[in-house]
Amino acid sequence: MATIPLASAEAGAERARLGMWLFLATEAMFFGPLFFGYVHSRLADSAAFASGSHHMHFWLGTINTAVLLTSSFTMAISVHGKERIRGTLGLTFVLGAAFLLIKGYEYGSEIPEVLAAKGAEQVFYLLYFAMTGLHAIHLLIGLGLVAWLFLSAHGRRAGTPVEIVGLYWHFVDAVWLFLYPMFYLLERYSA
Amino acid sequence: MKTLVLVWVALLALLAATAASSFVPLGGWNSAINLAISCAKALLVAIFFMHLRHAGALLRLVAVAALLWLGILFGLSSADFGARTISPAPWSLRY
Repeated sequence: MATIPLASAEAGAERARLGMWLFLATEAMFFGPLFFGYVHSRLADSAAFASGSHHMHFWLGTINTAVLLTSSFTMAISVHGKERIRGTLGLTFVLGAAFLLIKGYEYGSEIPEVLAAKGAEQVFYLLYFAMTGLHAIHLLIGLGLVAWLFLSAHGRRAGTPVEIVGLYWHFVDAVWLFLYPMFYLLERYSA
Repeated sequence: MKTLVLVWVALLALLAATAASSFVPLGGWNSAINLAISCAKALLVAIFFMHLRHAGALLRLVAVAALLWLGILFGLSSADFGARTISPAPWSLRY
């Protein structure tokens, strides 16, 4: 790094990367306590968590994970593409929006079960809505950023802004990779 | 580009593995397998999609520091909850 002149474009890109990674580190601290709350509550009453998990839509959650992974893939292609990246950026937006629509449908269909939940199962739902909700807000912000790239001149050529938005997008994807088994896959064999 | 396609295929294969494993009763191992697969997927995303493979020492340090601090937070909080009944805080003692 010492060999890169301070004013060069590459030094600017490296500063932007460092800024985004630092921000993502604070984001990990932001999500962290919720993950610890989950571990603590689940160890306190794992049976209630398993029965709460059985109310989740297994297939919708699994499909949604595949959708989000694929959106990260198209985002990675956008970052690597030199020119004409609007197609993959647009696809990333569509996949991200599809994830939120499926999630929204799930939320709607879960309301009766949430209202009927008792005891520690309520804690399961509280964590479920808090964690997936916080994740959904992050994804919504990501959608806004991808839309901005798509509509602005940045969509024409891959550059630092595309790369930085890509880092954020992949982080939000990585958070979901942990949420998926935590809420959808508890004792599926006994469901 | 070829690497990205391979990583994507690996991620979907890991997703299929974690989903399928949840239908096999393995007791505590179910959660362990799910956690291990989630970590593997997140690592693939971080190393290839987020370019940690080609990143400089500074970026790698920031990424590892985040995990280290999460580990410290989890460790200290666990120690607190775990030791509460053995060694209660003076102000929570009932006489």
